[in-house]
Amino acid sequence: MLSPMTTRTTLIAAIGTSALAVLTGCKGDPNSPGIEYMPDMYRSPAVEAYVDYGQDPYYFADSVVLAERNTQSARLPAEGSIPFAAEESKAAFNFPYPYANTPEDYERAGLEVHSPLPMTKATVEEGKVIYGKFCVHCHGETGMGDGAVVTKGGHAPPNAYNGPLKTLPEGKMFHTLTYGKGMMGSHASQLTKEERWTVIQYVKFLQNDGKMPGEGAVAPADSTKQAAAGK
Amino acid sequence: MPLVPRISKSSPGLLNATLAFILSLSVTAASAQADKATYAAGEKVFKGNCASCHKPDKDMTGPALKGAKARWEGKGDIHAWIKNSQAVIKSGNPYANELFGKWNKSVMTPNAISDADIDAVLYYVDNFAPPVKAGGGGAAPAAEGPKMGKNTYWQWFLITALILLIVVLSLGGITHQLRNATLEREGKPTEPERSIWGRITNWAWNNKGWASVLGLFIVVWLILLAWDWAFEIGVYGGDKVAHYKPEQPIAFKHALHAGKDNLNINCQYCHSSAEKGRHAGIPSANVCMNCHKAVSEGSTTGTAEIAKIYDAVGWDGKNYTGKEKPIKWIKVHNLPDHVYFSHQQHVSVGKIECQKCHGPVDTEFDVAEQWAPLTMGWCIQCHNETEVQMAGNGYYDEIHRRLTETPMGNKELQKYLEDEKITVRELGGWECAKCHY
Repeated sequence: MLSPMTTRTTLIAAIGTSALAVLTGCKGDPNSPGIEYMPDMYRSPAVEAYVDYGQDPYYFADSVVLAERNTQSARLPAEGSIPFAAEESKAAFNFPYPYANTPEDYERAGLEVHSPLPMTKATVEEGKVIYGKFCVHCHGETGMGDGAVVTKGGHAPPNAYNGPLKTLPEGKMFHTLTYGKGMMGSHASQLTKEERWTVIQYVKFLQNDGKMPGEGAVAPADSTKQAAAGK
Repeated sequence: MPLVPRISKSSPGLLNATLAFILSLSVTAASAQADKATYAAGEKVFKGNCASCHKPDKDMTGPALKGAKARWEGKGDIHAWIKNSQAVIKSGNPYANELFGKWNKSVMTPNAISDADIDAVLYYVDNFAPPVKAGGGGAAPAAEGPKMGKNTYWQWFLITALILLIVVLSLGGITHQLRNATLEREGKPTEPERSIWGRITNWAWNNKGWASVLGLFIVVWLILLAWDWAFEIGVYGGDKVAHYKPEQPIAFKHALHAGKDNLNINCQYCHSSAEKGRHAGIPSANVCMNCHKAVSEGSTTGTAEIAKIYDAVGWDGKNYTGKEKPIKWIKVHNLPDHVYFSHQQHVSVGKIECQKCHGPVDTEFDVAEQWAPLTMGWCIQCHNETEVQMAGNGYYDEIHRRLTETPMGNKELQKYLEDEKITVRELGGWECAKCHY
């Protein structure tokens, strides 16, 4: 036999319990960075990379003119910029590439452009690392055009290096990496010229059925000369 | 049915028709077998030589090939065109030149294939039937289970405490009534009815020692709670707070692109400056277009999200229109201005996996979220534990020389090696100016 008082107490406690359960069950809004103490330590007046000052609620809000709040921090370098090379031997890599993105220059590059890097075990090994990051998902481990994007994603396969592309000269490879060709886009924004030449050493290795030139019965992959002779 | 000869003019129409039907069936069956073989042969040649630029039913780098044979009818030799397109263009064939101009003067690679192969390919593309997809594209992302963290412990503690409180208060009410009933029977004055608060203060007044101990406990507990909470201020990631996971302008799925069971694209393909610069880099939209020039329809969101990339780079399906606008990605990982952090140092020199700080991006995340707390305690804890990768790491050559070849270095080295490893801390990873300068 409960008194009215006890019933009320029980009721209040029950409501309190459920309210508490609801409140503690709440998760923070993933769109909000949460509480901040001294926000100015996070947001600098100088333009920081990838910060959109226009969308940032903690930035000075209305006190900053709109144009300034929409300052884009990710930009292209000025046209014709040549990257700094700490080692003199690498400076040549950074000179501008003198061929235009036209079919004629593609053919010319195939004849005239040659790798400044020798094809050695070391450059092939280095090239393999770059290949594993930038090429393998489409071109596949062995350059057969069977990467995951092709097999799992069901997208167009690139030609095999030791198939239709077996005699592709290195100059054309460099041209393609720089400007893109067909379905392949330009990789110039992701790979420096030196990296492009390094990865080409590994592609030449794959063209040669995964052998160094001179190993086995297969002729050396001096594809540049072959193409030149063919013309 | 021209193949079926009429048996005789006098034979009944029904018989005639039946015969014709049976005969034509067998002819079709035989030719179907041959067609199937041609189709398969054509498919093989197509995939090996043509598929990187052409689709049978859709324009890509080159035109859709369905009907190509018919389009070339009477305008030139399609075999010569496929074998060496440049030669046909140079010969002055008007249709060849028209095609070349229409498709941005992209040169078709000369193909060293036989006429029979070309015929097979043309048969394949003209009769192309898209394969039926088995199941959905790609593995379904793992179901989002509720996260059982440390937070739930407090919830259960409080709920239990409240239930106990209700029991205590109800029992208190019952004892009170029973006592009053006894007092009434004995003819003594009953105790006045008190509110909950009245009962608590009454008890505290009568038991001052217990009340002060309890009060002290509650105060200390509240201070601890506040202290703990204060450590979450300005922290967007880690175990204690909800991860900062802002909705991005494009619903990019990391698990789909980088997952081992999906497209398996290396993190650095898109975040290519991670080993070269301070920032890992948000890929510019041209990197998206390296694949999405061809892939206009995704497996989960269809064309909706990919159309946003096209909008940003001004791609109309065939050409760049020049109408570009930047994608306003929202930055997730923010460090205060007085901390210097470089990805290059951690990726190239430290050889640390991306997942160590960014969490299971490639397996679990869709949208990027701040997985690690990025507090100083978190930074220096890792600096204290992590062993330096000194072997074959050009960055440490000089310090390695000094430690092994100079007497002073040798002494230091012995000290470092007391725990049998050289940690980042021992090489200066705890010095203030390492990060604050």
